Amino acid sequence: MVGLSEGEKEFIKGGIAQDLRSDGRKRYTYRPIYVETGVIPQANGSARVRLGATDVIASVKAELGKPSALQPDKGKVAIFIDCSPTAEPTFEGRGGEELSAELSGALQRCLLGSKSGAGAGIDLSSLIVVEGKVCWDLYIDGLVISSDGNLLDALGAAIKAALSNTGIPSVHVAAGASNDEQPEVDISDEEFLQFDTSGVPVIVTLTKVGKHYIVDATSEEESQMSSAVSISINRQGHICGMTKRGGSGIDPSVILDMISVANFVSRQLIEKLDSEISAAEANEEES
Amino acid sequence: MEFVSPEGLRLDGRRPTEMRQLRAEIGVVSKADGSAMFEMGNTKVIAAVYGPREVQNRGQQTNNDHALVRCEYSMANFSTGDRVRKPKGDRRSIEISLVIRQTMEACIMTHLMPRSQIDIFVQVLQADGGTRSACINAATLALSDAGIPMCDLVTSCSAGYLNSTPLLDLNYIEDSAGGADVTVGILPTLDKVTLLQMDAKLSTNIFEDVMQLATEGCKAIANYIREVNPFILIAVYIWPSLKTF
Repeated sequence: MVGLSEGEKEFIKGGIAQDLRSDGRKRYTYRPIYVETGVIPQANGSARVRLGATDVIASVKAELGKPSALQPDKGKVAIFIDCSPTAEPTFEGRGGEELSAELSGALQRCLLGSKSGAGAGIDLSSLIVVEGKVCWDLYIDGLVISSDGNLLDALGAAIKAALSNTGIPSVHVAAGASNDEQPEVDISDEEFLQFDTSGVPVIVTLTKVGKHYIVDATSEEESQMSSAVSISINRQGHICGMTKRGGSGIDPSVILDMISVANFVSRQLIEKLDSEISAAEANEEES
Repeated sequence: MEFVSPEGLRLDGRRPTEMRQLRAEIGVVSKADGSAMFEMGNTKVIAAVYGPREVQNRGQQTNNDHALVRCEYSMANFSTGDRVRKPKGDRRSIEISLVIRQTMEACIMTHLMPRSQIDIFVQVLQADGGTRSACINAATLALSDAGIPMCDLVTSCSAGYLNSTPLLDLNYIEDSAGGADVTVGILPTLDKVTLLQMDAKLSTNIFEDVMQLATEGCKAIANYIREVNPFILIAVYIWPSLKTF
């Protein structure tokens, strides 16, 4: 809940129009990002990302499961987001469920590609153990601890960091099982396989306030938005998914404009995130 | 199963009367009025306090001369060893929410803040036994960070009895071993017990020892909390006469 006076609202809008926002940033500048990996020891991979006062944790857990009959050569990935009431008292009880569902849906669209698994940020065929019989199910859980706007970008970054922190135990399949029975598998405690996360996209949300749009809006700025477009872009500059939120309509030409801006911003964001993730991993190994 | 080795060491290498390592930090949720993170070994919880503020739902206000204290306990999906997706508001979390609320209500000076509401939200990030105690300790720190007047700090600690030895601060394996588990919450300065829960059975004189041990643990935690936040506003120091009631 944001309570702003008329003057404050004008100040935020006026600042955005003049390319100088209330915290001194320009329209296309992100707040500093801090990444910490390995924060949840029980998970296969985890990361905490802080973006200003926004604070989120993502964890990845891998369990052995059965691939679906339609995609026998692919593993499964599911994303669940929870909004903790610590972030906002209105999330108490079932209050956060609507936002959680919206965020989970948007992240699934942005990171997991289509239903067939084509275009997913993670190579789903690398999760297969025995085709048609055994595969890894990845459960990605996100938790919002503190919210100050731009939750989607922060969660996207946290999931990317958590995935690069993830080690999947290597599995030995007992040979000689006949075709129709479930093969016996032996999970190693020592050998872990790392993912290729270079294809995982980042999410850039452009929030439209007045005539202009900004990246990484704070909750004060979000309260003044007319609509927002979240675009997920990978390293090659390909668009991997898109979500529009907010009530009012946007001109199609503005959307195309937004995409080119997002493309430009995403390059800096990927670079920044990569260096933060490798710094965090180096830090974790030291301690 | 052997929980105390012949050398007198527990499964995680602690002595029977040794606590897990404590770590705490205040101000972890910048948007909240007060917040704290509290770790007891591998158990890690975050508490956030909003208020005192206007009562949001008038229907809940039963007593006009006192502040309304509310509490919600939630567990993250990834907090336990096996991933389980629990619906919100299951029986266990409702019970723990109630326990935390009653314990905190006992120390907040609610009569100083009539017609207002204080919300305490605790979120478990990692569960390894003793979440109840960790939540209460985190809530105390968060309330002190929010500057809410309290008549004393409440601290909580658990103790158990396994292999004929009283053990302080049980972890998950020891907790699920089936022995008695005594959770105590005390007001250390006023020297009063505000929370006492026990499951399984113990003979009266052993119970006395176990509870004594848990109380010692609470006092040690109180000392640690005072170190983390030395600016705690406690009415006892301001009005010594309070000590008499």
